[in-house]
Amino acid sequence: MNPSTPQPLADDTGRRLELHLASHTVELSRSRKVIEQFASTLGFDETAQAQIGLCVNEAMANVIRHAYGGATGKPMLVVSEYMESPTRALRITIRDWGNGRNPAELPPKPYNALEPGGVGLICLRSLMDEVTYTPQPDGMLLTMVKRK
Amino acid sequence: MNQTTELNTGTDLVPSARVEGTSVIASIRGEIDLHNSPELRGAMLDVLLRGDPKKLILNLQQVPYMDSSAVAVLVEALQKMRRIGGKVFLTNLQPRVKGLLEIARLDTIFVVVKDEAEALAK
Repeated sequence: MNPSTPQPLADDTGRRLELHLASHTVELSRSRKVIEQFASTLGFDETAQAQIGLCVNEAMANVIRHAYGGATGKPMLVVSEYMESPTRALRITIRDWGNGRNPAELPPKPYNALEPGGVGLICLRSLMDEVTYTPQPDGMLLTMVKRK
Repeated sequence: MNQTTELNTGTDLVPSARVEGTSVIASIRGEIDLHNSPELRGAMLDVLLRGDPKKLILNLQQVPYMDSSAVAVLVEALQKMRRIGGKVFLTNLQPRVKGLLEIARLDTIFVVVKDEAEALAK
């Protein structure tokens, strides 16, 4: 399956964006830019846009690498939705149908900057206000919230 | 004055690399994520092998964005340089790259300097 350009599906209010993707690394840059643009239209400043884009990149890369073991053509659904309450925030969910593990269940390991791995998760936890992994019967649902 | 030897890296991600004395100075270009970081890794390993430097200077002026997979390439280069007692200098960091290195707590592990001249002088 060839990677396809993300086709944003926005609702009438312009506050919800869906990206139906196939797992492929070429989607990382495309999706990041689409969501950064979406965050921009919602009024997030440049710093927040960059943080949101990086986290989407890292989360999608984790799905491709770990949940799908590098396999291409597997489904990924990225939904970005702006919420007014309880606080103004962008909620991004990334759903996969792979074999990823919930990072919260992995044994704790002290971070060593000189050892590979772990930087992506650090980005998510440092730059997002909420990060939740919810195991599904057939995959994983990651929810990230960035408040304004 | 040190002799300069150009290294052809064969990739647009490293449009220029040269050996100056015991230093290798390489420019990296582009947005780097998991899609192209393996290509960058190959180029870095090749430059290290052919240049055999004591000092590796990476000019990131033309890198507006990188993700953790690119960071991993830089860390691997750093590890290889450390094994031979060498150092890695990062120059001309763009804001997003600088921010990522700070989050990964790598800004103090690499030698981050303003530009190539400062790296060569150290």
